[in-house]
Amino acid sequence: MTPQNLLRRWETLLVVLLAVVVVINVAQSPFYLRLDNIINLFQLSIEKIIVALVMTFVITSGEIDLSVSAVMGLAACIIAFLYSHGTNMAIAVVIALLAGVACGAFNGLWVAYGRLPALAVTLAGLIGYRGIARILLEDKSIGQFPDWFNALGQQPLVGPLPVALILFAILLICAIVILQRTPFGRYIYVIGNNREVARYSGIDVRRMKLIVFIASGTVAALAGILLAARLGAVRGNTAEGFELDIITMVLLGGVSIFGGSGTLVGVALSILLILNLRNGMSLADITGNTQTGVIGALLILSVLVPNLFGAFRDSRAKSRRAARAT
Amino acid sequence: MRRLVRPDQIRVFSLVVLLVAFVLFFSAQIPGYLSGRTFVRISTGVAIIAVVAVGQTLVVLTRNIDLSVGSVVGFTAWAVGMALASNKEMAAPLAVLLAIGIGVLSGVVNGLLVAYGRVPAIIVTLGTLAIYRTILVGVANAKTVTIDALPEWMKALPRANLLTMGDLEVRAMVALAVVIVALFQLGLVYLRFGRRLYAIGSNPDAARIAGLPAQRTVFLAYVLCDALAGLAGFMFLARFGTITVVAAQGMELQSVAAVVVGGVNMLGGSGSMVGTLIGATLVETIQQSLIRVPGLSEFWIDALLGLLILLAVASDAIILNRLRKAWLARPTPSGPDGRDDRDTGARVSDSALSASGAPAGGKSS
Amino acid sequence: MTARVAALDSVWFGSMTTTPIPTPDPPSQTGAQPVLAMRGISKRFDATQALSDVSLALYRAEVHALLGENGAGKSTLIKIMTGIHPPDSGEIILDGRQVQIANAMAAQALGIAAIYQEPMIFPDLDVAENIFIGHASRSVLMNWGKLHREAEAILQKIDVKLDVRMPARGLTLAQQQAVEIAKAISLNVRVLIMDEPTASLSAHEVEQLFRLVDTLRKAGVAILFISHRMDEVFSIADRVTVFRDGKWISTKPRSQVTSDGAIRDMVGRTIEDFFAKTTARQGDVLVSVRNLGRTGAFRGVSFDVHRGEVLGFAGLVGARRTDVGLALFGIEPADSGEIIFDGARVVIRTPEQATGLGIAYVTEDRRQLGLSMPQSLTTNITLPAMKRYVTPLGLVDSKREAETAEAFKTQLSIRTPSVQHPVGKLSGGNQQKVMLAKWLNTQPKLLILDEPTRGIDVGAKADVHHFISDLAGQGMAIILISSDLPEVLGMSDRVLVMREGVQMGIFNRDEATQERVMTAAMGQSASTSAFANADAASAIGTGAGPSTGAAAGRSG
Repeated sequence: MTPQNLLRRWETLLVVLLAVVVVINVAQSPFYLRLDNIINLFQLSIEKIIVALVMTFVITSGEIDLSVSAVMGLAACIIAFLYSHGTNMAIAVVIALLAGVACGAFNGLWVAYGRLPALAVTLAGLIGYRGIARILLEDKSIGQFPDWFNALGQQPLVGPLPVALILFAILLICAIVILQRTPFGRYIYVIGNNREVARYSGIDVRRMKLIVFIASGTVAALAGILLAARLGAVRGNTAEGFELDIITMVLLGGVSIFGGSGTLVGVALSILLILNLRNGMSLADITGNTQTGVIGALLILSVLVPNLFGAFRDSRAKSRRAARAT
Repeated sequence: MRRLVRPDQIRVFSLVVLLVAFVLFFSAQIPGYLSGRTFVRISTGVAIIAVVAVGQTLVVLTRNIDLSVGSVVGFTAWAVGMALASNKEMAAPLAVLLAIGIGVLSGVVNGLLVAYGRVPAIIVTLGTLAIYRTILVGVANAKTVTIDALPEWMKALPRANLLTMGDLEVRAMVALAVVIVALFQLGLVYLRFGRRLYAIGSNPDAARIAGLPAQRTVFLAYVLCDALAGLAGFMFLARFGTITVVAAQGMELQSVAAVVVGGVNMLGGSGSMVGTLIGATLVETIQQSLIRVPGLSEFWIDALLGLLILLAVASDAIILNRLRKAWLARPTPSGPDGRDDRDTGARVSDSALSASGAPAGGKSS
Repeated sequence: MTARVAALDSVWFGSMTTTPIPTPDPPSQTGAQPVLAMRGISKRFDATQALSDVSLALYRAEVHALLGENGAGKSTLIKIMTGIHPPDSGEIILDGRQVQIANAMAAQALGIAAIYQEPMIFPDLDVAENIFIGHASRSVLMNWGKLHREAEAILQKIDVKLDVRMPARGLTLAQQQAVEIAKAISLNVRVLIMDEPTASLSAHEVEQLFRLVDTLRKAGVAILFISHRMDEVFSIADRVTVFRDGKWISTKPRSQVTSDGAIRDMVGRTIEDFFAKTTARQGDVLVSVRNLGRTGAFRGVSFDVHRGEVLGFAGLVGARRTDVGLALFGIEPADSGEIIFDGARVVIRTPEQATGLGIAYVTEDRRQLGLSMPQSLTTNITLPAMKRYVTPLGLVDSKREAETAEAFKTQLSIRTPSVQHPVGKLSGGNQQKVMLAKWLNTQPKLLILDEPTRGIDVGAKADVHHFISDLAGQGMAIILISSDLPEVLGMSDRVLVMREGVQMGIFNRDEATQERVMTAAMGQSASTSAFANADAASAIGTGAGPSTGAAAGRSG
């Protein structure tokens, strides 16, 4: 089975699962498919799914970024810290974004140019950036942001669709185009498949990876800003643990953890699946804690199930061959 | 003997030097630092993290990772605490066995998924980190273990000494940790199982082809790792007494820090328990001592910890590479003037074997 | 110099029957039974019949060479012998008893071991551990003293000098192979399969290896030797078997085999001209390299390459020819000397710069460095030249991509179901052609080829040689790095010889003989090596080093 066929099968499976979940949810609540409910569905996790889009690039290029949740938290804390010390909110936002760029660049420089394993570097980042966020906010909670800021995520922009949702849609389209239809996307796939082949083909691998990490940090900072706007208050541990959901969304979408394969369509489907699943679980009065456990299980299953299918198929083929031989 | 001067040994030695340097630095900044009290405080902290780090080392050697150890420690601490609180007559060895047993169970799950399910370690343990913590929160129902509910011997345990040398007290728990480190270090060198861990991390494909029981070995590594985490959970319970549902959250990161700083290669194949112990000591020393430096708030610890990990990995990559090149360039029977004469031909070297950042398992070349 | 098509020893009849009858092989001198006999083996993989009714017998103390193009079924047979795949039908008879080889461990237990082009070693473990790693040992504890002693004993038996305490990371490829052989010996190997073991070795190291093989032969091991290098086969083999398209074609004692006849068996047709280099009219100088060097790699390299010229790079392993190529291509830039390209002095620090100038480098390692295996021919072919396939909006122009790929598919006769097929599924020869297409697509002025015909079948090899010849005829400047001496001598207008990073000389076509080139490549003194004492003088004196002379058997 060619990689393309495999992916198509995976996406079909996701569509089926999505349909099942939606049907169950609708059975639980007749208002499920109303527009405002759907919008609300996205709203609750908009920050995570934005980061999942860019995480797709990171993982496809053969790397991983565990520090995204810490960058989100750091951006949120920077805004809170600066604003509470009298800085203009708009400037604080810009500085938070720049911090995201800096974190991404820091990660990227060590991984791409320093050739250190991304796991170790972003693990250090996960701890370190969170640490910086804690230095800023200590154990305080800061809120009371200006109204325009609070309305940032929620305010309907086009019809009933809020800014954040439109932003996601734009980013999704851009991401799809960039990854599937541009040379840059091609390079990412090749780099994820085999870094040396890319290098020997004249691709500046280090620069590409740096760009990807900078994008990751920037988008994470953006997501952190949106999160602060939506929550209305920020603590030192804001966005803690988000990386689980984000990575699950990407891997469940059929993107290989080793890099070099997977599509954004798959990721979009898996995002829909996870959002509806979480919502459905809330409807069924399943606690947030249990939901996290379920997501954890989904993460494992997203890789385990294809493996088992593959093994099953191989052993069936083997026994068929053995049967023919006798 | 050549064996003594290998680059890995130099690394461990430089760690010791670094540790001494830090201790001297802190003693200058903090009044009364070089005291028995400090030693006890730090060593008891090291004891717990070292036991977890020993288990983590086993797994990392095989080119995998276990991010669920924090949840295992927390769960075990809570569960054993609850068990002791409900039956005060429970014998101590039974409590320990319970702790280890819970750890073994988690290890079995992790090991099955990674070794036989062929799911990358980062995925599995990220998932079980969430699942185990979820189970803990769900079962605990917000009940916490309080120290008063524990039997007397449990309360006395953290203060039990193995030996006392004047001001210096060596706690029983510390001694236990040292014994575990020593045992596992010996196991790594003298047990065939230990050598297999290195082989699998060094070249997973070759290990498979050579007929090594790779799956079983990795499975056992996880079982041992989480069993040790369970034991550490018991020690955690003894030390802190009060266990909430967020107990030991983040300990997995600390164990990875200890392992990485201690010189164990994240890509598997090299490292030692001795290095891990020193790494754990270094990390714990810095963490505990920074709080006491006047003018520095406790919230700086994490940031510095992250920096420390980064520096360890970076310096490893640079220094060890240089050392290795120097090591190879010495005159040997291998070439006319000892030059590394690989020109054309398959480079069975780092580029083929190391996965650039792929979290676990890497790409098979 | 079409040396290979020199006078035939004898005209070969008899191999052109359409249905060869698989007879049991002629018994060895002593009339003993074979150690391992494969009878009527067939194996099918999905749509491909990899082997049909194949037989092969290996005898004690004998080197049995197996020849065949890619796809002839050699690797499949090896996989069956080493327990990786079971045969669909047929028998495997070991010492007269029929056996089933269920898996790799079973093969090992039966005394069957294989050595491949790329040794599988553990870089972090020491040499002794590497040797004994596969042993299904009962003991739980390691006895280091015993381990090191026994390792040293084995190495001494095969006359190999290595420090058993050294981590295997530092070993050269040839040394790693020695470790693999030591491993096999430690497992009391009775049948040793060597699959293209010399593909990445220098002539000198090949000699050492053959000495090792000889030692093994004398010790009674049955050796199955697979190689594409005809001259090696003739120098080492006792008997020669040819497969073609999954079928057994012939088995003959070495004395009855000729290179031309064997080739005919393999290919089913005579190869008229192995090396088809037409002398092209050469243009002006395109590249001028003066005193080029990179610390720790090479120094003092100076040469010119004219348009339409093929400049061959000859030398042994360690000569650092690839490094010169990598310096010109920007992967490992030089740090001294100068490069003058097309009249202007240039500094090449990145592959992007190199391709921008019009330099292309086709790597020797197509699996690891040359092609992105899971991706399609189209993607691979257009990769370095993506800039030309971009629409004004910045998107990729798939239609033009596909057109380019189709054009090359036709031009280079690449056999593939479609240009969207993943290149990983093509045969070695076709993969090599895709790599060539990839770089030709960048319309280079200077084409650097690094071992372009290594490990590919005879037919594809001839195709590539023809093509190189054509390219030169069209005015392209070509640097041909090759360890195949006849290839270098046959294809080049001039030959540059390197030894351990130093340029030894440049020979014109008419003055470049194998002896002269080999002498230059080996330098003045006899080199010491990890293996037994090599006497370079003796190798040169008889002119019968392993890669001399294609119409083998002749001396001088």
